[in-house]
Amino acid sequence: MQQFLDTTLGGLVLGAVYAAFALALCLIWRSTRIVNFAQAAMAMVTTYIALSLLNADVPYWLAFLAALAAGFGLGALIERVIIRPVEGKAELNAVILTLGLFMVLNGLTAITFGVQHRGFPAPVGTNAIEVGDTSIGITPFGILTIVVVALVMAGLVVLFRFTDLGLRMRAAAFNGEVSRLLGVRVGRMLTLGWALAAAVGAVAGMLIAGGDLVNPAFMDPFVIYGFIAAVLGGLDSPLGSVIGGLILGLSLSYVTGYVGEHLAPLVALGILMVVLLVRPSGLFAAAAARRV
Amino acid sequence: MERLRSLLGRLVRPVTSVPLARHLVVALIAFVVAMAVIGASSQYLQTRYAEMAYFAIAAGGLTLLTGLSGQLSLGHGALMAVGAYAATLVLDRTGGETLADVFLALLTAIAVCALVGVVVGVPAARLHGPYIAGATLTLAVAVPRLANQWHVLGGEQGLQVPVPRAAELPAWIQDLVWFFTAVEIDQYSFLAYLGWLLLAITFVALANLSRSRVGRRWRAVRDDDVSAELAGIHLGRARVVAFTVSAMAAGLAGGLMAMNVRLTAPGAFTITLSLTLLAAVVLGGLGSLTGALLGAGVLAFLPQLATDLGESAGLSATQAAEVTPVVYGLVLMLVILLAPAGIVGSLRSFLARSYLGQTKEKTT
Amino acid sequence: MFAVEELSAAYGPVKALDGVTFTASRGQVTGVLGANGAGKTTLLRTVSGLVRSTHGTVRLDGKDITRTPTEKLTSYGLSHVPEGRGVIAELTVVENLRLGGLHRATASEPMPIERIFELFPRLGERRDATAHQLSGGERQMLVIGRALMARPTVLLLDEPSLGLAPRVVAQIFDLLRGLVQSEELTVVLVEQNARSALSIADHGVVLNLGKVVASAPAAELAADEQLRHAYLGF
Repeated sequence: MQQFLDTTLGGLVLGAVYAAFALALCLIWRSTRIVNFAQAAMAMVTTYIALSLLNADVPYWLAFLAALAAGFGLGALIERVIIRPVEGKAELNAVILTLGLFMVLNGLTAITFGVQHRGFPAPVGTNAIEVGDTSIGITPFGILTIVVVALVMAGLVVLFRFTDLGLRMRAAAFNGEVSRLLGVRVGRMLTLGWALAAAVGAVAGMLIAGGDLVNPAFMDPFVIYGFIAAVLGGLDSPLGSVIGGLILGLSLSYVTGYVGEHLAPLVALGILMVVLLVRPSGLFAAAAARRV
Repeated sequence: MERLRSLLGRLVRPVTSVPLARHLVVALIAFVVAMAVIGASSQYLQTRYAEMAYFAIAAGGLTLLTGLSGQLSLGHGALMAVGAYAATLVLDRTGGETLADVFLALLTAIAVCALVGVVVGVPAARLHGPYIAGATLTLAVAVPRLANQWHVLGGEQGLQVPVPRAAELPAWIQDLVWFFTAVEIDQYSFLAYLGWLLLAITFVALANLSRSRVGRRWRAVRDDDVSAELAGIHLGRARVVAFTVSAMAAGLAGGLMAMNVRLTAPGAFTITLSLTLLAAVVLGGLGSLTGALLGAGVLAFLPQLATDLGESAGLSATQAAEVTPVVYGLVLMLVILLAPAGIVGSLRSFLARSYLGQTKEKTT
Repeated sequence: MFAVEELSAAYGPVKALDGVTFTASRGQVTGVLGANGAGKTTLLRTVSGLVRSTHGTVRLDGKDITRTPTEKLTSYGLSHVPEGRGVIAELTVVENLRLGGLHRATASEPMPIERIFELFPRLGERRDATAHQLSGGERQMLVIGRALMARPTVLLLDEPSLGLAPRVVAQIFDLLRGLVQSEELTVVLVEQNARSALSIADHGVVLNLGKVVASAPAAELAADEQLRHAYLGF
């Protein structure tokens, strides 16, 4: 029973981070119809930037904000300079381009910082919480993780549902040409979409790194798990990304805990294939057609 | 002069006009040249050539899959792993002492991968774009991890690969090699000759497939699947066949790789391997076997160059080793942004355009 | 005043517009008519900057807007309701309207959404429905309302009657006529349904193969049987 509780709690924390990452992918998909396979590498880069600051004795939350800002800038730069030329073209091109970017970012970080594992500090405790005699299978940092992700999601909901900027971004994503006719600077909205997504990815990176070891490959599992979480929920659906992330996190936690950690990617592949073959647009596929 | 020309034409045309004959002649010439070059090379270069051969086999299959059939696969590293492990287990079982053992191992690798190719290819046929990319990428991560899980596959340390000793190869092979290259066959040149022989055979097979009805079906499905279906082509079947063929090539390549590296371990089959293969075919030009060969050459010879460059620029050994993936990543990005048709594709367009330019001048 | 002079545009080697010249006056509906492929939609898209003109100018009250980026045109008071209506299907009625008002004409008063609902009560009833759920006629009302939210002085409409029942078309055209008079709009109405268009137009311009073949008061065009048979299909 104890193991079940621990595995579940661990799965929720992991799931929260997958949810955030999947949200980032969803943001980019909705705005530019591209799956950003370099998202994990981008989050890794921003985490390393934070690590450099932390090693220079910058306070944790300042470094956290710096990671967000770096993500924002990196996302905007990448969309404007690298991705813009392939938007609207054959989907194969964007896939290959982002994969290339993934390799470049990983390699450059390894060259700059080396491949060795480094410790990453956490702002709160990373030991299991004790209640009397028993230890609950969650740490203060785990709780913080869930809270931060929830805040990010709430922020995004407010942005998109209730602000003019959010309305512009949604319009630009749904119908670029009509939006231009209505005065929306569609190009800027796309760039903003990537910038925001990269900032969310940066949050995910920081949450994974806290209290653990990082090396240039530490975000690599997210390349596939983030994608699977997003597809599971439906690439077009932010709510789906969150649910998909939680489901995936829990599933992987159970597999690792009860069967074997080396089978986790295979199980994830299984989940992915079931979704793609049975309900390809995801659990929360929007019923409305995209364009009439 | 004219009579000589027409006589030559009558002799050569039957060969050049029949695709199979043409391919066989080209392959034969290429193999003879390869033998000569390998025979005259140092041990280090022979290893590189052997490497180039099996990368080319894998790349050839992948370029047909992605270029002709339009299915992107990022999982070919995993398929190579399957082939490698299959071949290793057979060689381990049989002792790996004779040529027959080697061929049995390689045939097993091909057969197992054919099966895996069908199993993966059937669901993959329903996917496109980022979905097939993500699914095959997950495969690339999941398969090598299985070796960690099951000890019969050697776990993290991997399995040693027994390979026949060159001195114990059949006498007629040793004599043949000596006759053609004036050098005794040894461990390194043996693997290189084997690789290039199999490469020649594979490319003839792939080239023929490409030109045949099967290849035309693939192109039809790639270019306009609605019309293809209306024309009576079974979309799923065509795609699965393409996937299986490319998987078989990857399996053969994996088997050869196992024999060359002498150790089959999960650590050799990272995402980077699959992405590296992708870089090779994108650089060469999707759909082009010549391009695949070019790309494989880059894969075999670039790493040492890049690492040397890195070290001379002051990087440490481990850091310099990271230069290679950066280069591959840049290749992928630059080719897509600047010349999506790859080297061969861009060359072909360039030649076609200048030819059109010439004919235009003639008619005006 | 809205003036197009010698406007030309091409799709590759194909000339879609060839020296088109006409003017549209305030408080008037100018119909742009002609068969399928005559260049009517291309004309509007070129004016809006979605298609790059190869020659000629477009002027709005004397100001040259030929090379103005598409996104800036609403701030100058030019609204374009595109072919196919262009509702943003995933957004609600209210959201579509709000969107229209975000980039209104510079120095104009914001248009209250309620005013649009007064004009189009049917939209008010369905204010929280996603645009996807609306009927053709409701969508047309939505996009006209959305365009009005930007407080335009010039309104370009591309085939508003397409796919709508005659009764609905009549309803919308009546509304349009009323708006033109009350708001002093300049309306350029592209229509394949020439008969309906001429019923509310003051002036008509007939295109054929990218060229202007006739430009005259609507009544004259309606009376010219030969012209009607040749270019307008009735």
